[in-house]
Amino acid sequence: MTALTPDEWQALALSLRVAGISVLVSLPFALGLAWLLSRVRFPGRLLAEALLFLPLTLPPVVTGYALLVLFGRHGWIGEWLAQFGIVFAFRWTGAVLAAAVMGFPLLVLSIRVAFDGVDRRLEHAAETLGAGPWRRFTTIVVPLSMRGIVAGCVLAFARAFGEFGATISFVSNIPGETRTLPIAIYELMNVPGGIPGVQRLTVVALVVALAATFAAAVLGGTAWRRRRDD
Amino acid sequence: MPRLVALLATAALALLAPRAHADDVLVFAAASLKPALDTILATAEARRIGTIKASYAASSQLARQIVAGAPAAIFISADQDWMDVVEQAGHVAAGTRRNLLGNALVLVAPDDSGIRLRLVAGVDLAGALGADGRLAIGEPNSVPAGKYAKAALGALGAWDALSGRLVAADNVRAALNFVIRREAPLGIVYRSDALPGSGVRVVDTFPPSTHAPIAYPLAVLAEHDTPAARAVWTLLLSSAAAAVFERHGFDVTAQ
Repeated sequence: MTALTPDEWQALALSLRVAGISVLVSLPFALGLAWLLSRVRFPGRLLAEALLFLPLTLPPVVTGYALLVLFGRHGWIGEWLAQFGIVFAFRWTGAVLAAAVMGFPLLVLSIRVAFDGVDRRLEHAAETLGAGPWRRFTTIVVPLSMRGIVAGCVLAFARAFGEFGATISFVSNIPGETRTLPIAIYELMNVPGGIPGVQRLTVVALVVALAATFAAAVLGGTAWRRRRDD
Repeated sequence: MPRLVALLATAALALLAPRAHADDVLVFAAASLKPALDTILATAEARRIGTIKASYAASSQLARQIVAGAPAAIFISADQDWMDVVEQAGHVAAGTRRNLLGNALVLVAPDDSGIRLRLVAGVDLAGALGADGRLAIGEPNSVPAGKYAKAALGALGAWDALSGRLVAADNVRAALNFVIRREAPLGIVYRSDALPGSGVRVVDTFPPSTHAPIAYPLAVLAEHDTPAARAVWTLLLSSAAAAVFERHGFDVTAQ
């Protein structure tokens, strides 16, 4: 087992950054949407859920192509965003967008299940004591759902870290910008003599995957104990 | 209960068992050959041979699968390196390797682009890309079209100025697609990818002296060297097949 080359370190660092930022960016939206789906009956809810599931059910290559059509330099949304200097095409921000879209359903689903599990009577009690919706959300719903939120973050991080199909179809393979760990592995598989590199990066991917699972167990366990002590 | 589990497991495994017949011919071919090869394999001559199935993917993936024991009878690679890998692993039937096809490397722009350039030494590709445009090519270490593009740009003295201005796609069709969608103002693909109606126009063709000859080697694979496989090999080298390949933008280099 030889050490990683600078290119391989770069791919690993980029993957961690892309996956981490994608979770951070999606989390507020996921909390909001999960709360809507859990607490509010609104028309078109089924449609919203079906749309939410799309990145899970569609082939990732299709998602990547859709992102290119929508958020490309000449895409329907991308062209408009470019006026404000927001560009996704062939940038690391595009890799974040692809990773966020792929991880979003997992994040929302986990959080929504946790929100569903919160005892509504606690919220009603708080309401009678004068707590507004925002206060109830931040002091009751979110703390009691911490395990689900953490689990959702870890799932979304794992999905984002392993993202390949949507990323390569949307933002291609640019060293330091969009060449994430899975794309680096794929590229090495396609180079004669690339197998030692594939093996090194596979070990790295395994370590990250196991570390994420371990972190989930520890964080989830901590949140769970705190909830029992309360 | 254990017998039920065993029965279910057997049934499940039976679903996975290959159902190919002994005289089926499986052709592994580089993805860029799909339009031409599908036409050839649909002709009456091909149907007389028997059931021929074609699987298209990157040459690199096909070569790795062959070395790992894939049941292919014919391999057409988009470059020599991967046929070398297969041959060195002992999978090529003796005397069957031929350079079937050639191709040319072209610089393409979207159909509606006004870019004009001559591909001569010192060509200012970075300038033609504009302030933040990128050049779409195949990945220059792994994708054959990308390797040729890197060599050709190097020979014209344009490679160094383009570092940081490239989009390295995982196959040549993906690079083409970035140009068709106008995400990249210029791209480097094969002439056979840039036929009229593809959504791009050829800005100029790279002089053949700027890169190694583009060759598509063909071989019969030793483990499945059947009379039917030899018949397909002969068909691919026939003048009827040559006419189809030429219509799709390839040069026919073997007869």
